[in-house]
Amino acid sequence: MHALLHVGRRAGQIAITVLLVALLTFTLLHMLPGDPAVVLLGERATEATIAQLHHQMGLDQPMPVQFWRYLVSLATLNLGDSLTMRIPVATLLIQRLPVTLGLTCYALLLALLIAVPLAFAAALREGGIADTIIQVASQIGLSMPVFYLGLILLITLAAGLGWFPVGGIGDSFLADIRALFLPALTLALSLSALLMRNLRAALVEVLAAEFVSFARAKGLPRRLLLLRHVLRNALVSTLTLLGIRISGLVGGAVITETVFAIPGVGRLMIDSIFARDYAVVQGTILVIAVLVSLVFLTTDALQAMLDPRVEA
Amino acid sequence: MNEGVTAPAPDPTALPDDASAHRALRCVAASHRGAVLPVLRPAPVAGIVILLLFLACAAAPGWIAPYDQLAFDYRALLRPPSLAHPFGTDNFGRDLLSRVIWASRVDLQIAIFATVFPMVFGTFAGCLLGYFGGIADVVFRRLVDVIITIPFVVLVIAIVAVLGPGLTNMYIAISAVGWIVYARLVRAEVLVQRRLDYVAAGRVMGYGAARIIFRHLLPNVAPPVVVYWMSDMALAILLGSSLGYLGLGAQPPTAEWGVQIADGKNFITTAWWMSIFPGLAIVLAGIGFSLAGDGLAVWLRRRD
Repeated sequence: MHALLHVGRRAGQIAITVLLVALLTFTLLHMLPGDPAVVLLGERATEATIAQLHHQMGLDQPMPVQFWRYLVSLATLNLGDSLTMRIPVATLLIQRLPVTLGLTCYALLLALLIAVPLAFAAALREGGIADTIIQVASQIGLSMPVFYLGLILLITLAAGLGWFPVGGIGDSFLADIRALFLPALTLALSLSALLMRNLRAALVEVLAAEFVSFARAKGLPRRLLLLRHVLRNALVSTLTLLGIRISGLVGGAVITETVFAIPGVGRLMIDSIFARDYAVVQGTILVIAVLVSLVFLTTDALQAMLDPRVEA
Repeated sequence: MNEGVTAPAPDPTALPDDASAHRALRCVAASHRGAVLPVLRPAPVAGIVILLLFLACAAAPGWIAPYDQLAFDYRALLRPPSLAHPFGTDNFGRDLLSRVIWASRVDLQIAIFATVFPMVFGTFAGCLLGYFGGIADVVFRRLVDVIITIPFVVLVIAIVAVLGPGLTNMYIAISAVGWIVYARLVRAEVLVQRRLDYVAAGRVMGYGAARIIFRHLLPNVAPPVVVYWMSDMALAILLGSSLGYLGLGAQPPTAEWGVQIADGKNFITTAWWMSIFPGLAIVLAGIGFSLAGDGLAVWLRRRD
C-alpha cells in the first residue's frame, strides 16, 4: 500500500514534469524565427491567404489559448503534422521509436556485460596490473566523444575488416542485431567507462564490509558470495548512477544514430532541425522527456527492490 | 576575531577528539605515500603538461604549425602521414597537423567561453537559492526536474536550432542550460554550510546577508566548484566538438576538431587519418583536464 502510494506520487510528479517540458518546447517553438504559414504557403503567398491560414491554424489566438489547445491535442496524442513529410508526427515517432529503444537497451546490455566483469577484475586485485589497465582505459573512454568512438569502430571493424555493415539497420531481427552491434558497442563503451569506475569503487567498499568477512568465515562458496551478496550490494549505487546517466545515454544515442545512419528518433530530430520541421523537433523532445521520466520511475522501484532500506 | 569566523568548520558529525585523531591519521597516510606535495605526483603533472602544450598551440599556432592551415595544395591531396606531413593531408591538400594545432585555439576557446558564464552565474544563483530558499528555490527545483529529463546535448541542440548554427549561438545555448548544474552544486553545498557555527557566528555579530554569503560562505563552497569546472571544460570540448561534427557549432573552413572529424567522415575507407588525428587531440585534451582536475581536487582536500 505504502509502495503503491509512493509510485502514485512519483507518477504525479512526472505528469507535472511532462507538462512543464511541453511548456518549454512550446515556448522554444514560438521563439523561432520564421512563420509556419509562410513555410507552408511559400514566399509568394498574399497577406490575405497567410492571415486565413493563421486563423485556420489558430495562430491568431493569444498565447495561453494556443498553449491550452496544444495541451488538449497532446492529451489525444496528436503531436501535429510534419511540415516536410506531411504525415502526423505521432506516426513518425511510432515508426522511429522502436529503433532507438532497441539501440538503447542493446547498449545497456553490452555495457553491463563489459563493466561488471572488468569492475570485478579491478576490484578483486586493487592496484594490480588489471586494475591499472582498466583504470587507464576508463579514463580514455571518459575523454572520448561518442561520435569519434563510433567512427573509429566504423573505420576498423566495418570499413577495414568488413565484419559489420557501415550503416543502416537490417531487415530481420538477426540482421538488426548484427547491424546495430557497432552503434550499440559505441554507446556501451562510453557508458561502461563511467560504470566501471563507479562499480569498482562500490565493489571495493562492499568487499571490505564485515558481512563479507563473516560470509567467508562461515565458508560460503566464493562464487555465491560474489554474485549474490557483493554484486547485489554494489549494484545499488551503480543503478542510481545508471538512472541519472540514462538521459546522457539517450543523448549519446541521438549522435550515434547520426554517425551510423540509423533511422531512429535522434536522427529524425537532427534531420528535422536542418529541414526546419519544428513540429517534429518538438515531438521528439517531448517523447524523449517522457521516456527518461519513466526510466527514473523504474530505477526508483528497482532500487527499492534491491535495497529494502531505501524508502519505498 | 575574523579568523574564527572564516575558518572552515570541522565535520559536524565527528567528535572533537575523533576529528583530530582522524586528521593525524590522514597526515600519516599522506606522508606514507610520499605525497606531501601532491602537485608533484605524476598524473597531475602529466595533466598540466598536456594542458600547457595545448595552451602553447592556442597562443601561437602560427609559430608552431609547420604549414598555413588554410593553404590548398592540389599536388598533395589525401596524402597519408609522412615526414613532410606527420598527420597527412586532407582532400584539399591542407596539412592536417597545422589544422589540428590551429583548432586547439578554437576548442580551448570553447572550453572557456562555454563554462565561465555558467560557473559565475550558477555559483551566484546557487548561493542565493541555498541561503534564502523561498519561492525562487521552489521554482528552481521544478526547473531542475524538467531539465534532467531532457538530455543535455538534445537541449543544447534544440536551442542552437532556434538561434541558428555557429559558435556564438552555441555558447549561448550551453550557458542557458549549463548554469543549472553549478547552481545545483552550490545550492546543495550552501544548504550544508548554512547550518554550521561560523555562519551563525556571523549572524550573531550582525553581519548582513551579502557579507556572510560572499565573504564567508563563498570561499567555503568554491573548491568543489573549481574542481567541477575543470571537468566541465573537458565536457564543453566534447559537447562543442559534437555540435561541430553535426554542423551546428564552428563552421568550416574554421579548423575545429569536431568539424575536422566530420570533414573526414566521407573518407573513412580511403583516408582514415583525416578523422583519427583531430579525435586524438580531443581525447588528449580531455585527459589533460581530467588529470589536472583530479590533482586539484586532491590538493584542495589535503589543504584543509
